[in-house]
Amino acid sequence: MKHSAGILIRSPKFMFGAIMLLLMVALVVIVPLINRADPLSMEALAFQPPGGGLLLGSDNFGRDLFLELVYGIRTSIMVGLVAGVFATIIGLAIGLLCGYAGGFLDNILTAVTNMFIVIPSFIILILISVSINSRSSLLVALIIGLTSWPWTARAVRAQTSSLRNRDHVNLAKISGHSTPKIIVFEILPYIASYVVMAFILQVASGILSEASISMLGLGPYNTISLGIIMNWALVFEAPVAGAWWAFIPAAFSIAVITFSLYMINTGMDEIFNPKIRSERA
Amino acid sequence: MNAYARYFLKKSGWYLVTLLIALILNFLLPRLIEGNPVSTIASQVSQGMTDSDSIKKVYDNFMKEFGVDKPLLAQFGIYLKKLVTGDLGTSFGLYPRKVSDILMAAVPWTVALQLPAILVGWIIGNVLGAVAAYRKGVFDKVLFPAALFVNSIPFFTLAIIMLYLLAITLKWFPMSGGYDYQMVPHFSLDFILSVLRHHTLPFLSIVLVTIGGQAIGMREMSIYELNSDYVLYSKLLGIRDSRVARYVFKNAMLPQITGLALSIGTMVGGSLICEIVFSYPGIGTWLFTAIRQLDYPLISGCTLLIALTVLLANFTIEIVYGIVDPRIKASQMEEN
Amino acid sequence: MSRKLADLQPELAPEPLRRVLEVEGLKTYYRTRLNEKVFAVDGVDFALEEGKALGIAGESGCGKSTLSMSLMGFYFPPLYYGEGSISIGGIDIMKLGKERLRKQILGREIAYIPQAAMNALNPTLKIIRFIEDLMKEHQPKLTKPQVRAMAEERFRTLHLAPEVLDAYPSELSGGMKQRTVIAISTILNPKVLVADEPTSALDVTSQKAVIRLLKELLDKKFIRSLIFITHELPLLYHVTDDIMVMYAGEIVERGTAQQMVFDPVHPYTKRLMGSIIVPEEGMKDHKLSAIPGAPPNLKNVPEGCRFAERCDFAREECRSGKIPMRVEAGRTYRCIFGVDTLKEWYADEEVQR
Repeated sequence: MKHSAGILIRSPKFMFGAIMLLLMVALVVIVPLINRADPLSMEALAFQPPGGGLLLGSDNFGRDLFLELVYGIRTSIMVGLVAGVFATIIGLAIGLLCGYAGGFLDNILTAVTNMFIVIPSFIILILISVSINSRSSLLVALIIGLTSWPWTARAVRAQTSSLRNRDHVNLAKISGHSTPKIIVFEILPYIASYVVMAFILQVASGILSEASISMLGLGPYNTISLGIIMNWALVFEAPVAGAWWAFIPAAFSIAVITFSLYMINTGMDEIFNPKIRSERA
Repeated sequence: MNAYARYFLKKSGWYLVTLLIALILNFLLPRLIEGNPVSTIASQVSQGMTDSDSIKKVYDNFMKEFGVDKPLLAQFGIYLKKLVTGDLGTSFGLYPRKVSDILMAAVPWTVALQLPAILVGWIIGNVLGAVAAYRKGVFDKVLFPAALFVNSIPFFTLAIIMLYLLAITLKWFPMSGGYDYQMVPHFSLDFILSVLRHHTLPFLSIVLVTIGGQAIGMREMSIYELNSDYVLYSKLLGIRDSRVARYVFKNAMLPQITGLALSIGTMVGGSLICEIVFSYPGIGTWLFTAIRQLDYPLISGCTLLIALTVLLANFTIEIVYGIVDPRIKASQMEEN
Repeated sequence: MSRKLADLQPELAPEPLRRVLEVEGLKTYYRTRLNEKVFAVDGVDFALEEGKALGIAGESGCGKSTLSMSLMGFYFPPLYYGEGSISIGGIDIMKLGKERLRKQILGREIAYIPQAAMNALNPTLKIIRFIEDLMKEHQPKLTKPQVRAMAEERFRTLHLAPEVLDAYPSELSGGMKQRTVIAISTILNPKVLVADEPTSALDVTSQKAVIRLLKELLDKKFIRSLIFITHELPLLYHVTDDIMVMYAGEIVERGTAQQMVFDPVHPYTKRLMGSIIVPEEGMKDHKLSAIPGAPPNLKNVPEGCRFAERCDFAREECRSGKIPMRVEAGRTYRCIFGVDTLKEWYADEEVQR
């Protein structure tokens, strides 16, 4: 593991992504400490361009967009993380169960997984969100997690079933170890890197999903997220007003966060997946 | 019975079950709204109505449509029966227009926008991805992060940026709608040109994002194929690079067809939101309107239509794929 | 010894033996992610005569697979050509340039069977389509029916069903796939066939079929020489005339199969022979002893003898300078000690047990 960490640090893609992400996190941690103003308080006239104390201008309500952006990034990252954790836990549990148990249970669960891959998850997301009246950002995150686990489950299942009949697993079985013990000590360590990579992708897709449904007006209430900023900009016709600062920075932030996550993932993939590493030695 | 027929039957069976689940979700989820949905809904629809008779009429109408007084299973039966006859209920927001009528008017716009855009994006993305994997070097180093970056931008975000840059700042394209608003749809050159001008920007934004995602997938697939033993073997037998490249392209492309099937749901979803940005008169914009007005019948009509289309697209792709790729044939034989 | 390939072809013996392959000072290296050069083939010299089968043995990671790839003169990243020459029929193929190499040498003069021949065939191409593609490169004048006739005849001669031609690779069994790969590789009658572990993934019956096929190819002169790489020494003993042992990118000993198996000189060869479970008669009383330690990291090979670290007989003088090949008493090996000294030590060791 130490060895892998050493290689990761030397991977430019991984380091690029990690540094970008850390910078973003630092921004959302530090700014609220310095500027304690309420991001929702009205500070200026509508759609004031950047400058004069407002780093990124004001939105349609005359609120400080830079502060909104900072809080928006915070919410989006939180939602992404919670959704990612939730999706990974469900996916990991189902994937391990399928892959390790095999047989009938595997067939049924795999079929269910495939069904939920085919039924567009954003449809389920919309239907659930519409049905729930007061959505906190935590709830939105959980709903996103609930609709996005099938990809992780599929990846984990594939890995687990290829491990199931390896010598070290058989040895543990013959030695009379319990199934949970075998899964934790003989299977999990081997799929850990895949699970971490799947988790990173889930976080990225969680952030994108939150942005999408917020854009539709189904985002969390009483908070600011990047998608909600975009939704406001669109609903209050910021593009028509020429107020690029009302949506470009938010759009860019979403892109930068997900891009960093993808870079981290790609960097890890090149290291843990020798096929892509293109080293035949 | 031969292997393919069995494959076909098995797939059909699974898709029927999936369809049923999609229907149940679509039926059940809106009914989870707290309280009596009909009164919630009717009170919203009848806002501003003063005549108590017409309020009652609205209320009775929705009571009948939802059938909330009956047990859930019976409600589902009614739902299915209506579905078969093409009745998706009455819109709240545009009362008393039928949901099916609204959707019928929107479908051609969405299909004309998304089908070509996704296909074009898919093809260009795959070609670029394959070239990036094959040529490596500078091309890959530039293209891959670019594609990854485009892919990190949500569909609608790119659409807004394009709207701002190309329609508002540069005024190259119209900002919104499917055609000039003063026109009445009819068959004339003017109208067609107007439609095309309005089509371009949403089309481009969908193409661009699709390219990003597909290029990444294809690049990875091609790298996997390029590292496989048959590439080495073929080259060491003196087979020219261009021919080996063709092998790799074909073999990487075939799984990309399944990739298309699997991602079509996400793509359609993203493209629908693109429509919103451009106020394009398709399903996506209606869905947006419906959500803002809490027009449940229209929302569930939209989601149902989208789910059905995506399922159908997936099913078609899988069935065709089973014929095209011998690797699938082999796995069919192993299963039997 | 009557099963030896050379003995199967007595008509070749009286002719003066022509060298089909000559390798001199060949160095090839892998470039790592951190841009270091790792020489996996580090100055290899050998020659191969017509009609001969040469075996290459060694532990995994010793460079034997890399050597087999390097012999083709065609390199893929991360493997690169360093220096040295590879001559086939007197032509140095490293001087030809990529395109001439591909057109005139690969597949025609020298052919390769990769380690995992299971996956060597394009899964979405019927066998005959691949052969057609191969012929388009090397015999462009042949029409499709001619190619099919030729392929069918060759397959029949090698006791392979012509129906195989119309199958996809996934429809063939493992052994069948391997034999098909061999038949395709040799369809242009190359002078040298390089087979990298062609039997390692197969069951015993299929292994035998593959061995029989390789012998038949030599016998019928479809190929003029064979390089056979494997970690299974008993197999080498049965298939090849000569055996070379590689260690850390260098050849440490070369001799006849008989010499190498029953009378090894180099301490590494000695250990390698002792480390193998040999079910064959005559090797039965050899004691089983795993070689302690692992081959050196090729990124920084030790000075002096590369095997010194793991050698029971290593002295101070083994650990400096470059150890050249030594030719003594009809034996060729890379060690500073004489044959007699080494044999004495081996005898002492035997007594101590």
